[in-house]
Amino acid sequence: MENTISNGELMLEVKNIHKKFADADVLHGISFTVRRGEVLVIIGPSGSGKSTMLRCLNRLEEIDKGSVQVRGEYLAKEVDGSTVYAEGDELRHILGSMGMVFQQFNLFPHMTVLENLLEAPMQVKKMKREEILPVAEELLRKVGLYDKKDSYPARLSGGQQQRVAIARALAMNPAIMLFDEPTSALDPELTGEVLKTMRELAAEHMTMVVVTHEMAFAREVANRVIFMADGNIVEQGTPEELFGAPKEERTKAFLNNML
Amino acid sequence: MDKLMETTLSILAGSKITLEIFAATLAMSLPLGLLAALARLSKIGVISRLTELYIWIMRGSPLMLQLLFVYFALPLVGIKFDPLPSALLAFTLNYAAYFAEIFRAGIQSIERGQYEAAKTLGMTYIQTMRRIILPQMIHRVLPPVSNETINLVKDTSLIYILAMNDLLRVARTIVQRDFDMTAFFIAGVFYLAMTAVLTWMFKKLEAHYGKYDF
Ligand SMILES: Nc1ncnc2c1ncn2[C@@H]1O[C@H](COP(=O)(O)OP(=O)(O)OP(=O)(O)O)[C@@H](O)[C@H]1O
Ligand SMILES: [Mg+2]
Repeated sequence: MENTISNGELMLEVKNIHKKFADADVLHGISFTVRRGEVLVIIGPSGSGKSTMLRCLNRLEEIDKGSVQVRGEYLAKEVDGSTVYAEGDELRHILGSMGMVFQQFNLFPHMTVLENLLEAPMQVKKMKREEILPVAEELLRKVGLYDKKDSYPARLSGGQQQRVAIARALAMNPAIMLFDEPTSALDPELTGEVLKTMRELAAEHMTMVVVTHEMAFAREVANRVIFMADGNIVEQGTPEELFGAPKEERTKAFLNNML
Repeated sequence: MDKLMETTLSILAGSKITLEIFAATLAMSLPLGLLAALARLSKIGVISRLTELYIWIMRGSPLMLQLLFVYFALPLVGIKFDPLPSALLAFTLNYAAYFAEIFRAGIQSIERGQYEAAKTLGMTYIQTMRRIILPQMIHRVLPPVSNETINLVKDTSLIYILAMNDLLRVARTIVQRDFDMTAFFIAGVFYLAMTAVLTWMFKKLEAHYGKYDF
């Protein structure tokens, strides 16, 4: 498993990305790679820039410096000191290869569960309803919510909503899934069902980048863990290395606090 | 009794023009208001600020003045309309400005996460607006739109100034002719009936959009 990943296709290659907001310098040169089938987990204290980093991968935020490559194609690169983004079909193709799951689920509240899944394939990919319907229904079965397909999101628990959100992202058949604290908005008793779905996804070799505070999940599912603080990668390694024998003081302090 | 019937029929005839102005204004000012709301929210500064200026002028001055301006002042620069088109122009521009502000607030009340979800699913701006934002916005703005619509019913009475025989002007003519207040009561009943129908319709709409309760 480790070996197949370390030789696998480069799915993401992030080089030296910097991000400033008007009043804050948030990312100070982040670099990492993700290979096919790999689960990369990002941990770190609040405000360390984890979400910002993740959002730079699919252009919800634009980087100021550095480059982001997705499966060999440049989403953003530096040309003569300024950042240039891919455009048109190329941009759509790159962004289309990534799905995202948010802390707040962000389901479309005016659509049923099933409609949430059908929406983007039909609108964006122009697929016919009968083409995507079996795929959507299969995904709902997979996340255990087929019987809720005609419910509106407001009628579902947070855990159910998040599982629908995962299924909705998967309906676009992405090659990479990004998760930004998918369980942080949930009551503790509901995190399990979402983590289970994510575990199953990892077992199917989905390439995943996961920002989370769930250390047990990170330990068990991650192939590699990155610890971020103050907009830098402080340390990275296998879960065994990072959790078992952290090298940096900041990492140790953070992990002690989490336990 | 005959007299009462005759008064009612006259007022009914007058309410035809009232309803025409009402329906035509609504049909034109709702879409125009939506366009203005989107223009106001545009990232292109000039467009946004010009729209803001238009909205300020329309909301900041009396509708009566706007009516008079279209009918009496525009002819001075060679733009001349009959009373009905004049009234429709002034009403539509005025109400579109109010609707624009309601729609703008409604659009802005939709969580940023909705745009982000749509964006990460690959939807374009137009798809996001049409499929995700506007349907939710409509649900949220129904109460203020309902208010404005009821105001519009009553504001139609301003067209008397252009010598158009609307419901209220007909009633006033009858009262002045016969020294009998009955016509005013009948006019009041007409207005109340119209607003009752509207209130009922908006309740239905709210229930329809409320089915996914959020
Ligand atoms: N749109 C923005 N405008 C200005 N500052 C921002 C913006 N988004 C994030 N920041 C700032 O950037 C820093 C990093 O935020 P970010 O959300 O990436 O942290 P995080 O590691 O995800 O934290 P958390 O664990 O609380 O989610 C914070 O100081 C935050 O205030
Ligand atoms: Mg975050």
